[in-house]
Order: sequence, then structure tokens, then C-alpha cells
Amino acid sequence: MACDPRVTLGPLVLRNPVLTASGTFGYGLEFEPYFDVASLGGICTKGLSLLPRVGNPPPRLCETASGMLNAIGLANVGVDAFCADKLPHLRARGITVIANLFATSVEDFAALARRLESEEGIAALEVNISCPNVDKGGIAFGVDPVMAATVTAAVKKASRRPVWIKLSPEAGRIAEIACACEEAGADALCAINTIRGLAVDPETWEPRLANRTGGLSGPAIKPIALRMVWEVARAVKIPVVGIGGIASADDAIEFLLVGASAVQVGSASFRDPCAPREVLEGMLRYGERRGMNLRDLVGKARL
Amino acid sequence: MEPSRAPDCHGGPLARQLVAPLLRREAVGSTHHVLTFELDRPLEAEPGQFAMVRGAAWGSSPFLPRPMSLLEAGKTPSILVKVVGEGTRRLATASPGELFTFHAPLGRGWSPCPADRTPVLVAGGVGVCPLLFLARSLASLGREPIALYGGRTACELPLDGALGRVAELRIATEDGSSGETGLVTRLLEQVLRDTNGRVKAFVCGPRRMMAAVAGMCRDAGALCEVSLEAVMGCGFGACLGCAVPRAGGGYLYACSQGPCVDGFAVDWGR
Repeated sequence: MACDPRVTLGPLVLRNPVLTASGTFGYGLEFEPYFDVASLGGICTKGLSLLPRVGNPPPRLCETASGMLNAIGLANVGVDAFCADKLPHLRARGITVIANLFATSVEDFAALARRLESEEGIAALEVNISCPNVDKGGIAFGVDPVMAATVTAAVKKASRRPVWIKLSPEAGRIAEIACACEEAGADALCAINTIRGLAVDPETWEPRLANRTGGLSGPAIKPIALRMVWEVARAVKIPVVGIGGIASADDAIEFLLVGASAVQVGSASFRDPCAPREVLEGMLRYGERRGMNLRDLVGKARL
Repeated sequence: MEPSRAPDCHGGPLARQLVAPLLRREAVGSTHHVLTFELDRPLEAEPGQFAMVRGAAWGSSPFLPRPMSLLEAGKTPSILVKVVGEGTRRLATASPGELFTFHAPLGRGWSPCPADRTPVLVAGGVGVCPLLFLARSLASLGREPIALYGGRTACELPLDGALGRVAELRIATEDGSSGETGLVTRLLEQVLRDTNGRVKAFVCGPRRMMAAVAGMCRDAGALCEVSLEAVMGCGFGACLGCAVPRAGGGYLYACSQGPCVDGFAVDWGR
């Protein structure tokens, strides 16, 4: 039976619900040797800042049970180099690009959005108010509903594009932040970013990351992410994009069932560059087997 | 033809990830193992390039593949494993027939040795792996590499016999159980003196050893290339986890800009 994979995220129609999570898919081009990246619903770029960032000192990564900690520190080429060197290739390949934005002030978030206004080939902006690994900005905006709303409104005002807000799992009441962003004009919400964790080497007594703490990702966080996506999806009318430990089609379908309209595959792309494609193909098989369109799975869990 | 650099595009056009069975596992001494895989078609890899290897049945833990320097390319490529944690422990206990995801060739291999320089391979312990691959390649080109190989004890010199067949091998151990007593840098001092620095050192081993060798080469006017080791997430430039401090500021990425980089491009002090 036919399965229509298309999903609608506010003003945007995606060819399917599988995206890639920011920070786990580079600028998309790194994956070109492995599969047709344009076949995905879209890619969220590495977090872009106004100026290039070199990132945190090493070690930046460590493996943990069923996942990993990272403290990359938003190393990126900067928005100008992205527009000059990466975006033309992404555009030429027909890849749906969601530009992930990182800044340390409301003004800089707005400036980033304005900087991208004249660039073609960006489908939406994803605003990172939830990075756990930088001193300023990031998570500070994501745990306070007033700050979250202020950033959302500022980016909305600065851009004609759909604005997605990426939420932090560290907000005490994530639904409250979600509602604040919705009221401020967000077109979609993405949940969740990584959860702060810590690992110590018992031999050297040193933290395993130079940044000491890092963001936990991978299958270890999936149940937490599902619970939070469910809470957010119940609280708002705008679409929700589910993220957190998705490594298979079944994982992704769980997120749709609890209310996500689309998903992002994250660290699974590190261990298998074809993971997003495999998640998508598995979801299509699932839809065909049941004779369902993928969008019709959204929120169907018997909760 | 000298080995040429891999193209500057992440995993490179040849990189592919496939599922391959372990063909055989051979213990080398008491602490190392050579694992040989069987591919459907030959792996075209250069000395110094690496593979990301992960057990197909590992489930969600260990979560990440392990970056492993290649010992040989071709239809039955091999890696040298020293147990340092859970992933390498599983590799070192794997049985023939067990399936692995094998993602290769990745990274930049060793760059060529100029014709007017003697190739000097400086290996520490398990760091011998990319250097034995290089030594075989150099020998097949008619070059006569000198190999300096160091470890704490004679047990920490895996594949020394194989290295001795393709290079003029000199050994140093800290406890004197094989070769000269002391660090491998003592052997290098001698070579730099004898050759008046007209060498290119290819170095892979512990960070402190590589830092010391790079410093000695700089002082002697020798060329120096090192193979970086770092914890990696992806192995092809996507995660930016494998940062190594770069001379002059910022970072090098071991997977995509390395693992083989100019030894003077690394800030060894940070």
C-alpha cells in the first residue's frame, strides 16, 4: 500500500519527516560520499555563529553506556564562511537546509537571522537556546520562559523564514518554555538537546572531558526525550520535532506516536553515516506495511 | 610511485562503510592482536589511513566505532589491536566469522619521503601499525627505511620481527629487555647525528614521544610527520570531537586533516 512520507511543519512541507540533528551532521557535505543527503526531509547545520569559533580544548568526547558525552563548544566556520563555502553546494544538490543558529545575546541571534535573509536555499532557522557546553548564551535562554520568548520574538522579527526553537531538557517545566516560544511566534519546537553529564577517569581522577561536563546523547537519553516531546506536544498547537537517541525507524516512529511531526537523527550518524537514510527507509516500510501516511502516525500513542 | 596524499575531502571518495566478517585473529605476544577482515572487494588504502571498526552485534553499547590504523589494505585488510577499554577488549576476543562494520579508508595517510631524505620510522608500542604498513610500501619502492622501535619492555614491541624484515630495525626498551636500554629518542639522536639531519621522521606512538621526536627533528633540520591519536566520534569530519591543538592557535582534526600531519603543525605544549 502507498505511504505518503510528506509532513507539514507549520508553513513548511518536508518530503519526509527525517532530519539530521545539528552538530551531528557537519554541514551535510561530509555525508555526500555515503548517500543522497537530498533524499532526507532536511539537515540541520552545525550551529552557526556570527564569527567563527574554534571550540573547546580536547578531550571533547567520551563514550558512555549506550551513548556519549560531548563538549565540542560549537566549533563552526562562522555564518559568512557557511554562506560562501557550504550553502552553494547544499543548494546545488537540492538539500533542504535548516540553519541552526547560536549566539550569546538576543541582538546577535537577530543579527544572524538578518544575515541569512538574503541567502537562498534555507528552509527554516533553528534557534539553539539549549547548548550545555558554552559559558554564555545557549542554555541560559532555554531555561527561562521570558528569555526564550524574547529570543523567539527577536528572530521572528528579523526573518521571513519559519523559526524553530530547540529546547533544553534542563528547563524545569519544558512545557512552560514551549508555550512561551509558541506565544512569541515560533513556527515549530525541537526537543531535546543533550542533557548535561559528567564522567571521571578512576585511574587519573581527571574528568574525561576538558570542559568537565558535556552533553549526553545517544540511545541512553531516548526515554527522557520521548517523555519531554510528549509533554511539549500536549502543551502547544505548533508542530514538534523529536530528537534524542534515535537510531532506528522504530525509535523514530515512537517519537511520531507521542506527538512529534518529524524527527532528527543525531549521534547515530557518527557510528553509521547512513543512519538517517536507514531510519527513513525503515519508516517508509512501516508506513507501506500498514497502509498509512507517516503524518497520520503523529500523536497516535495510547497515552 | 610514492604514496600520495588522500584527497582533501573528509572520508575521501573511496571511503565506504560495509559489513565484513572477521577472517582471523592472531595473538601477537600477550597483549596485542592482529585482526584480519574479509571484504567483498579490495580496500584501496594508503599507509597511515585508518578504519572505523565496530561489532555488528554490539547493540547500543559500546556505542561508537573504534578508529584503528590500517596494517594492510587489499581484500583482506588488517588492524593491530591493543586492549585499552571495552571496545578493544571486544575486538581482541572476537571470533572468525563475527561481523563488523568496517568503514575505510579514512583520513590522510603519510605523505611521500623526499628522494634526498632517509626515511626514519619512529614507533612506540602499538604505534608500529601505520609504520609497518609504510615500511612495506617504502621497501617495495626500493627505499631503505630505518626503523627505531621503543617500548617499556620487550613485550611491548608487537610485530618487531615483521618490521625487521622491511627496515633496518633498532630497538630500545626502558628495562633493557630488548635492544638498547632507554627511550627510542636515544636511537634517534644517533641517527640524526650520523645523517646530519638529512632524514624524514615518520612517527607514531605516545604523545610525549611524538612531542620529543618533533622537537629533536626541528633542532636537527630534519622533516617530521606524526600520526595523531585522538578519541573520535565519527572518523570523517562531522563531529569535530578529535581536536588536537594546532601550532599558532586553534585545532587540527585528527580524522579529516590527519591522522598524518606535519609534526611541526602541532602545538605539543597545550
